[in-house]
This record gives sequence, C-alpha cells and structure tokens, in this order.
Amino acid sequence: MTTSRNSAGRILLRIFELFILAVWVFPFLWMVLTSLHLEDEVVAKTFHFFPQHPTLANYIKAFTSTYILNWLLNSIVIAGLTMVMTLIVDAPIAYAFAKIKFKGRNILFWMVMAGMMVPFQVLIIPLYLQFNSYGLINNFMAAVLPRVSLPIGIFILKQFFEGIPDALEESAFIDGANRFKIFRSIILPLGSSALATVTILSFINSWNDFLWPLIVLNDTEKYTITVGIANFQGSHGTQYALILAGAVIASVPQFIFYVIFRKQIVESIALSGIKG
Amino acid sequence: MIPGNKNNRDGLIFSLPFLIVFTLFMIYPLMYGLYISFFKYNILGSSTFIGIKNYISMFHDSKFYSSLWHTLEFVLITTPVLLALGFLMALYVNSKSPFRKAGENIFFVPYIFSMTVVSTLWAWLMQKQYGLFNHVIVSLGGKPVGWLTDPKWAMWSVCIATFWWTAGFNMILMSAGIRQISKEIYESAEMDGASYRQQVTKITIPLLMPTISLCLILQVIASFNVFGQVFVMTGGGPYGTTRVLIQYVYETGFQYFKMGYSAAMSYVLFIIILVSSLLLNKLGGKYDNQ
Repeated sequence: MTTSRNSAGRILLRIFELFILAVWVFPFLWMVLTSLHLEDEVVAKTFHFFPQHPTLANYIKAFTSTYILNWLLNSIVIAGLTMVMTLIVDAPIAYAFAKIKFKGRNILFWMVMAGMMVPFQVLIIPLYLQFNSYGLINNFMAAVLPRVSLPIGIFILKQFFEGIPDALEESAFIDGANRFKIFRSIILPLGSSALATVTILSFINSWNDFLWPLIVLNDTEKYTITVGIANFQGSHGTQYALILAGAVIASVPQFIFYVIFRKQIVESIALSGIKG
Repeated sequence: MIPGNKNNRDGLIFSLPFLIVFTLFMIYPLMYGLYISFFKYNILGSSTFIGIKNYISMFHDSKFYSSLWHTLEFVLITTPVLLALGFLMALYVNSKSPFRKAGENIFFVPYIFSMTVVSTLWAWLMQKQYGLFNHVIVSLGGKPVGWLTDPKWAMWSVCIATFWWTAGFNMILMSAGIRQISKEIYESAEMDGASYRQQVTKITIPLLMPTISLCLILQVIASFNVFGQVFVMTGGGPYGTTRVLIQYVYETGFQYFKMGYSAAMSYVLFIIILVSSLLLNKLGGKYDNQ
C-alpha cells in the first residue's frame, strides 16, 4: 500500500545513519590526516583538508627525537607483567571460592567484593609512600603491583569455575589427583575462555592506566605510552602534526589488539559490567 | 566426597597469593592513608599529628569547594547523556539496519583507545586558532570559540570528548541486556500491532531497568573519578574552572607535598562515591530480583 513512501523513508533513514557513523569515525580520520601534514601547513592561514604535500616526516621525527619507542615497550612490559600476575593471583582464589568449602570463605568473598568499591584514587598517597620507602619509585614493579588484584576478575572466574561439573573433580580425586593437579589439568584448561576474558580486561586496564604510572614513573624514558603522549602534548604544545603522529603511533597497538580480540573484548565488558 | 578433607588447608593455600597482594596493596594502604590523613604529613620533613584539622581545613578551602563542584558538574552533565547515548546506540545495534554491525564497531572503538590519545585528538579538534571546529565555524561566518580556553565552554568541551570516548562502553552493557530479552515478547507485541516506539517504551525500557540502573551506578562512580581527560585537555584551566577533585588531590600531594591533606581529601571523595552508589543501589534495588 505505502511501499513507495516507506522505502523513501527508509533510504532517508539509512542516509542519516551513515551520516552519524561518519561523524563518529571522523575524529580518527582527522587525526591521521593531520599527522600527514607538514607542520607549517597545519598552522597556515589557508585551511587544507587534505595534506598538500603528504609526508611521513612527523612519524620519523616522533621515532627519532622522542622516547616513543621506549614508551611503547614499557607499556608492553608493564601490561604484560600485570596480565600474567593477575592470572596467578586471581585464578587460584576464584577456584577456591567456586569449589572448596573452606572456613571463612563467605567473609573472604565479601571482602573481595567490597574491595571493588574502593576507588584507586584513595590509595595513591599511601601507595606512593609505601613504594617510596621500598625504593621502588621509577621501577616498573611499582606500576605493576597495585594493579595486580582484579576483584572483578575473581568474580568472572568464580562464576565460570562454578559451572564446571563437580563430577569431573570427584573422579579425578578417586584417581588419586590432589587439588593442585586438578586445578592445573582440569580447571585451568576448561576455564580458558574465562581466563582469556580476565587477561584482556587486565591488559586494557593496565595499558590505559594514567594517574598511577604518572605518579610512580618519573624519568621520561620510563614512561608508559599513555603518560608519554600526555607529556608530549605538554612539552611540544605547538607542534600539532608531530603530537598527532605520536597519538596515531600510540593507538596502533590498541587498534591491532581490538581487531584480534574484538569478540572477547566485547564479551568481557558485557560480562564484567552485568555481573559486577 | 573428598578423601581426607583438607578443605580448610586447600582454601587457604589457593587464596594466599591474592591475600598477600590484597593486604599489601589494598587493605594496608587503605588503613595507612586514613592514618596519614590525621597528620600534617610532609614527605620531605617531619610529620605531626593534628587530629581532624585536615578535614576541618577543607571547609575553609575554596579550591576544595570549587574542585568538588567541578567534579559534581562533570557527573551531572555526563551521566544522563552517556546513559541516553549508550541506550540509543544499543537500540541501533540491535535493530534491523544493515549497518548495525559497522555501528557497533564504530561506536565502541573510541573506548579502547587510551584517554591520552582521545584527549590529544579532541584538544586538536578544539584548538582555538587551527582546530577543525573553529575552521568550520569561521567558514560559516561565525566567531572562533575558545573551546578549551573560555571558562564558559571548557567543561562542556571536556564532556563532549568524554561522550565520544566512553558512550560505547554503556552501549555494550545495554546491548547485552537487550539481547537477553526474549524475542517472543517482541513477536507477540508485533502481532498485536505495537509500533517500534511502543515496543521500545513498553517492553525494552522496563525490562532493561536492571541493566540501566547498573550502568547508572558504574557511570556515576567513573565520572566522580574523572581526571585524565581534564588534565590533558585543559590542565584544570582556564583559571581552575575545570579543576576536578582528583586533580586537586594530585596537586596537593605531589606538587605541594601536603600528603596528609591530600589523603584526607581523597577519603572525603571516597565517602561521597560510596554514599552515592549506595543511594543509587537502593533506588535501583526494586529491579534487583528479576
């Protein structure tokens, strides 16, 4: 009956949708375009949307005249260490919460969940003084250690481990396996997807952390990429093309990470948010 | 079921790694910070016990009040907008549009980029002389806007960048919630002739309330903790009009080295966050048992 009107409306709707999506993508495009401009083109009187003389000079300059490569490596090391240690700390206790009926389990679980309510910002002064007294300021471990326990990770793992049938454990017990063997050869392999979720959350948290590495890592060459780029903006305030090239370099690893782990990232966020 | 019940021993052993980390880097600093907050604590010199004087000082500190107000301003602006944006995006990615998959990626990707990349990028878009926004405004015959340098606009500019950055996170949560609503409810509503709008207002929103109230709490907590994007985009300026509480805590502690006062302020912020999330939780409590 009203097909023609409907389809005209639909086309308008699709155009509107595409417009919104284009607006949302645009800042990225603009970042890349700016980074390919010559510096004096960016601040020229006449405005050019596309670079008149596309150049990689800003990228070369970013790599040669700043510590950006160090920052990237630092971030990889810090996020990697945080990730591994989070699993070492979170997985066993999540297993204990899920499968071992020990004394004080409920109180302990309640304590872990309460820990989720404490904003990290409350801890920065005492933590700083603590690490200062250990002589660990400027040491990567200072950036890693306070970020290692991830209560939401424990929660996700516990939920998942609870779903693993008790019968599997029991038959392993009968075969003479002890808890450590069961944990290693049954729980961890079966829980690998939940472990991946927690790994990803921990990696993203650590990579994007700003305030804490800003406080404990003082030497420029020890910065993480997140702190480095912020600092970069402060000290090269007028070299826009260079700064944006830095931002593009900083976002490449994150983009690759997203492309590879898209599904798990989205799932881990849906899971941690909903169940949290 | 378990031969030679060693549950208590095993429970302890498996909890131990976490307990060590948790005690050292959560419980101990939490207590220690509270302790410090009763001292005139200077990392470079000696410290003296001054009781609750740090807490009393806050009442006379105009910078504390203005930072608290800016934080609150940020919470009040970003929370409703980010919830609404997240919801609309979630509706969109669950619609029948052929671009819904692209939409999901496009809306979500900004969230995975670090705050500094996002802040740097938006600071450039909003740059007063050469930024794109003002190029467009000028070419349309307007006057350039001091997005980050005009006290009237600076907080809003930071908020706009934050909308773009984090709306995708709420989208993911709400989208997961929408997907849990059974398809049959929509199908029977459609058979009864319900329009899309009726389906959204009569089915989606009421059934999504548990997720929405969760998003609300997470959003309020996150917004109270705002720091990075303000620090990078405006540095708290112009004239301190965007200085938020975390930034003031940071400056007091690490630039003026008034660690005791800084710790005391962070505890006040903690209590504010705790009270507001408990209140919101209570408000949202009626949706809990679904």
